[in-house]
Amino acid sequence: MSLINATRPATKSRRLPPLLIFGLFGGILLIYFALPFAVFLSRTGSVSIVEALSQVASRTAIRNSLLTAPAATAIATVLGVPLAYVLARETFPGKRLIEALVVLPLVVPPVVGGAMLLSVVGRFTPIGAAAARLGIPLTDSLIGIVLAQTFVAAPFVVITARAGFGAVDERLEQASRSLGYGPIATFRRVSLPLTSRAIVAGVVLTFARAIGEFGATMMVAYNPRTIPTRIWVDFIAGGIDAIVPLALALLAVTFIVVATVQRFAGVPTAVEK
Amino acid sequence: MTLELDGLTHRYGSERALDDVSLALEDGELVALLGPSGCGKTTVVQAIAGHLNPTAGRISLRGTDVTGIPPEDRNVGVVFQRSTLYPHMTVAENVAYGLETGDLTPDQVSDRVDRYLKLVELTDRRDASPTSLSGGETRRVELARALAPEPDVLLLDEPLSALDRGLRARLRDEIVRIQQETGVTTLFVTHDQEDAMSVADRLVILRDGATVATGDPRQLYESPSTRFVASFLGRSNELSARVDGGEPSMVAVGGVALPADAVGKEFTDTSRAVVHVRPGDLVVRLTSGSDGQSSEGENTSDRPDASTDRESLDNRSEAIEIQGTVTHVRDVGRRYDVRVEVDSGEAVVVEQHRDGLREGDRVTVTVMVSDLTVFPVSE
Repeated sequence: MSLINATRPATKSRRLPPLLIFGLFGGILLIYFALPFAVFLSRTGSVSIVEALSQVASRTAIRNSLLTAPAATAIATVLGVPLAYVLARETFPGKRLIEALVVLPLVVPPVVGGAMLLSVVGRFTPIGAAAARLGIPLTDSLIGIVLAQTFVAAPFVVITARAGFGAVDERLEQASRSLGYGPIATFRRVSLPLTSRAIVAGVVLTFARAIGEFGATMMVAYNPRTIPTRIWVDFIAGGIDAIVPLALALLAVTFIVVATVQRFAGVPTAVEK
Repeated sequence: MTLELDGLTHRYGSERALDDVSLALEDGELVALLGPSGCGKTTVVQAIAGHLNPTAGRISLRGTDVTGIPPEDRNVGVVFQRSTLYPHMTVAENVAYGLETGDLTPDQVSDRVDRYLKLVELTDRRDASPTSLSGGETRRVELARALAPEPDVLLLDEPLSALDRGLRARLRDEIVRIQQETGVTTLFVTHDQEDAMSVADRLVILRDGATVATGDPRQLYESPSTRFVASFLGRSNELSARVDGGEPSMVAVGGVALPADAVGKEFTDTSRAVVHVRPGDLVVRLTSGSDGQSSEGENTSDRPDASTDRESLDNRSEAIEIQGTVTHVRDVGRRYDVRVEVDSGEAVVVEQHRDGLREGDRVTVTVMVSDLTVFPVSE
């Protein structure tokens, strides 16, 4: 008895709370995330942001980004959510291949992805030439930017939505079918509402990736400039301080959109828990 | 005939899940489909509901072939093993869900929701979220939701197996009451023979994807048609028996020879048989000395005194006695399970309501001939 009582507190006091060790490791990473933000943002004092952003070049870049990124996100969502549903529900030969194809744009470096896109829609390719003849240039145009952004960013919404659909018990859909709803109505009334959180998360990730897209955009449509391509041009010309205003604008747009989407397009719960 | 399955067969890849299952439910009948897990019960439910296309066979509802028809056009209500209430809707919205596809006015929908919530006694939980309901309440809301569109057939796929014991029995009674009040033709699918026996008008037993027995629950329990049915419907002891094909042919069980007609079976071309008897139908008492007389006070028999006159064992109300040794006594609360190794070397379990037997005791096991079910074993 006395032996147990004597040894127990001793071992206890020597032992560190296990989560503290995890916290230490994680903390290093957090500092590494936060430090560049803090230092970069501290430079804002030395430049006139309003003046820089009111220049025509900056305003055009912001406008172009605000036109293209939502368009790319919308395309990715409209085409990607049905794909996600099929991947979550069906098994078919070659499914593995399709799943690999979905993540391919994430694995391929954006610049390479852009080059690959260019080889399909470039001005001297059959598709690019045909489109150009119809007056729809697929490179060096807003459409080109949307193509590049969609290619790079769409996998996010597919992957997240797929996980969301996978988490919905198929029996819930079967119950809906037995209660008189066809497959489309069931998708709209049951699967979609129950997956809305995951889809919104995917949309947010896709948008953030699209608006910040640089590598593929640069290859497919270096002009007209978006915020990221403008930042690159400014950086070449004037170094870090020159890009602070646009970088801030990009951050602000992204944060506002992410916050708004999460606030208003969250789960429409009929029942407050 | 409300529901009719005709030669239903299904394969998952090369694996056969259902093999030529035929089944018919009369209007208003409550039939239990009983079988061990993995016997194909859920496949039957999925096929009837239309969530699965059977490899072969036909499904008819009210005389119409619905085999290729999608689930939404079948008018079949389903309650699954796990809850399928929609968490993004209230209880009332869940119940109304299946009514909004029909041509009811909003007022009619609301009336119907009220009626069915009242039926399952959950009117006060109308506006609650399904996530705030207890296990039993969840089941009842699901019943209301499945019944509200007034389906031709209600399918209950293991509706009780996620509930604990007390709740289970209560909800079982509730299901019977609701079924009687609505008169809906119901197929109750379960692996639990107690659930099945206590709710069903009729029992269908499924094994390895094929029906092995159909009939009145009590009758199937008391005179099972196969060894599987005997051992699956409640606890059972199995003893081997020898068949002597003389005139009249005799069956020897535990050293006692019985005329074959006493056990109500015909024996042809076989010299072996298996005898089933329920542990509750056996009576065990201490054997004192070697004269086979029962020791006073330990005779727990509530049956007529066992006859030792083996010449007259032609009557089914007679009893036979088998000698043995107690090898184990297990106290399971409301009874004792006494394991006895009989002198032929086989073991039987006897359900006993009194204590008093110890391991190593020499005992006499008494059984009424009418409680024996004999199955010839084909060579």
